[in-house]
Amino acid sequence: MTTTLPFDGIKVADFAWIWAAPTTSKYFADHGATVVRVETESPPDLVRTVGPFKDGEPGTNRSHSFGDFNTSKYSLSLDLKNPQGANVARRLIGWADIVIESFATGKMDDLGIGYETVKKLNPSVIMVSTSLMGQTGLASTYAGFGFHAGAIAGFYEITGWPDLPPDGPFTAYTDGVAPRFLAAIMMAALDHRRRTGEGQFIDASQLEMSLQMLAPQIIDYNASGRMVSRIGNRSRIAAPQGAYQCSGEDQWCAIAVETDEDWANLRSAMGNPTWTNEDRFSTTEGRLSRHDEIDKGISQWTADKSPQDVMEILQVAGVPAGVVQRSSDLMRDPQLKHRKFFRELEHSEVGNVPYTGHQFRIKGYDNGPRFAAPMLGEHNDFVLRDLLGMTDDEITEIAISGALV
Amino acid sequence: MLSPYTVLDLSDDRGEMASMILGDLGANVVKVEPPYGSSSRRMGPFLEDAPEPENSLQFFAFNRNKRGVTLDVTTKAGRAALLRLAEKADFVIESAGPGEMAKLGLGFDAFEKANPRIIYVAISAFGQDGPQADYAASDLTLAAMGGPMSVQGNPERAPVRLSVPQAWLHASSEAAVAALTAHALMIQTGHGQFVDVSAQTSMIATMLHARLAHAIQGSDMERAGSVLQAGAIELPLVHECADGYVVLIPTGATMTGMVPWMVEDGIVPEEWIEGEDWATYDFRFLQQQPVVYALEDVFDAIRRYVLLHTKADMLDRGLRDNVTIAPINTVEDLTKFHQLEERGYWLMAPLPDGTDTAVAGILAQLSETPLDVKRWAPKLGQHNHEILIEMLGMSEAQAIEGGATIPQEKE
Repeated sequence: MTTTLPFDGIKVADFAWIWAAPTTSKYFADHGATVVRVETESPPDLVRTVGPFKDGEPGTNRSHSFGDFNTSKYSLSLDLKNPQGANVARRLIGWADIVIESFATGKMDDLGIGYETVKKLNPSVIMVSTSLMGQTGLASTYAGFGFHAGAIAGFYEITGWPDLPPDGPFTAYTDGVAPRFLAAIMMAALDHRRRTGEGQFIDASQLEMSLQMLAPQIIDYNASGRMVSRIGNRSRIAAPQGAYQCSGEDQWCAIAVETDEDWANLRSAMGNPTWTNEDRFSTTEGRLSRHDEIDKGISQWTADKSPQDVMEILQVAGVPAGVVQRSSDLMRDPQLKHRKFFRELEHSEVGNVPYTGHQFRIKGYDNGPRFAAPMLGEHNDFVLRDLLGMTDDEITEIAISGALV
Repeated sequence: MLSPYTVLDLSDDRGEMASMILGDLGANVVKVEPPYGSSSRRMGPFLEDAPEPENSLQFFAFNRNKRGVTLDVTTKAGRAALLRLAEKADFVIESAGPGEMAKLGLGFDAFEKANPRIIYVAISAFGQDGPQADYAASDLTLAAMGGPMSVQGNPERAPVRLSVPQAWLHASSEAAVAALTAHALMIQTGHGQFVDVSAQTSMIATMLHARLAHAIQGSDMERAGSVLQAGAIELPLVHECADGYVVLIPTGATMTGMVPWMVEDGIVPEEWIEGEDWATYDFRFLQQQPVVYALEDVFDAIRRYVLLHTKADMLDRGLRDNVTIAPINTVEDLTKFHQLEERGYWLMAPLPDGTDTAVAGILAQLSETPLDVKRWAPKLGQHNHEILIEMLGMSEAQAIEGGATIPQEKE
């Protein structure tokens, strides 16, 4: 018996690239939709050219910067500037329920497959254009990455140490924020289309979606003039909080005291050292005002213990504590193992490699990536013949024209 | 788009943005709070610095497009009222923690019995079961255990998180996707679904290409401050300018536009303009192919140039010349960014103190079903009368018994 998947039968023409939009279409691919990723070798999707590469060896089909963001998709290599390539793109658009693209604003129009054309080819299509700044406005052509949007949104200002320039979140933060909002919007649009037959155009700005993550702080500034800035790992309302160095090389455990009770539990878990006996430490205000001193005391206690030991001792005492985990730690994490979070899948060039799974589990089916990321152009024949119904002659003609690169 | 559907939001600060997203997409959302209010009503920032339940901007920001009722689900009458609401609902979202709702007799089984097509979404720190499911968690420890901290921050200091809490917002937006994915499955099978969302794994997604680094290349990625690690090449992202900082990397398009600026200021000689094929410069240094001007010299020129100019001037000039420069904005800078105004992004919201203030707008612009905010966050128990008495037909006495402590006249 085959399992029913949420997006069985849904067809997506995926003209997206880099991370944000491919992550969005991946939700549909992993959960059952037939997603054709349109790409080209000249030039390849930028993330195919950066690591991590399998075994550290560069190669178009060896990058997990591409792989982990493109599972369960078919790859069609297509030169959209070639007239035959543009014809294939139009066939694909006619086939699709959803068209998604994340080129610079106006590029789809230049290629002859802007929304007005798309709508004629496929009146009930849902077309999604997503970019940093949206499709309208003076800045709509701003051609940047998630770290540019992260700086403009304000995520850089709030990340790092107050006495140093901002460090910023890791790489392209908004690429990790926007796909969730956009996937939800697209799923709602798909449900609307199922009920009414009506498609539409979605103009999604990565910046605008990401600002929801700072919504209270934006209102606070507008209402009171107060502005947030970076404060390391500290909290404005509770103390002590921080990452504390443990034994081993560059090993850390995060500890977050949120209440007076947490503080009492932390003290007893540390064996009630004499420095903690001060009355002033019994209140949040007192602890906030002498955070440096408290950090020093905690660091002395953690210094000779592994971060796992610190976490386990404090968790037994009910204090929020967690190891600062690297990618290698995540692979060993017992909770992630229990959830079968990482999935090994057979990739056509690099073999069996792990992929991340989903952040949610739906009871009733084993949801996760269905198959490995494609090699560039791996499914040209499958897409043209089986999905678009082309004949051998048609395919040969397209191949001879040089469009399939 | 989701107007045929009703969502019961039983969550607190750990899940409120999930139902807000569904509400923004058109769903009819009923927020069910305990008589003492959601935990987020006790979280800042607060209007006028007064920590009152109606003054929380955390609550105000993430509870728009919802009506609000109070029910005490520790009472039989409160539970009965909730399950009656569930009969007509399509989604339930909760964030009480593993097993907590079941202890009250309000687990998935109870809701499924009331409504066999219900989508029940449970948001928790680590998932509903497993060896660490009951671990205590906070935004900070989730940023640690989910991995992003290990790649964030200055290598000379401790790993850092973003200093505005993010973990539960990531989990909440993921929960909105999860709810609609499960709903798409329900449409086909006719069966309700239990959905288990983990905040820890939601944080792993924000590690982007670092999350599987060790398994793929044999080594972890490490925190490098504001340096972008692009394979073997490291690119400094943050540069000090005349009035703050900007983010800038020498992509082909950016260098094509920017080299003439640098010539104009006497930072580099005029021969730089023709001396290099700037359009392909980034591609070649990423592939470690020959370049005329070494990357370190280019960065040195960039550093000297940006020091002389303000972030707003460089952003504006960049927009004209296709040079991608991003100012490191404070909230104030952000509110002045003309693009957001031009797109009509900011919405005016009536705050609980009677003033109107600009707030983050709709999620995206849709051609046929435009999104909007129909109502702002409810006051505690604001819709008790409308929903419990008028809609469910409870008597005032029954509503009070169920924890609706302040039944009010119709809105």
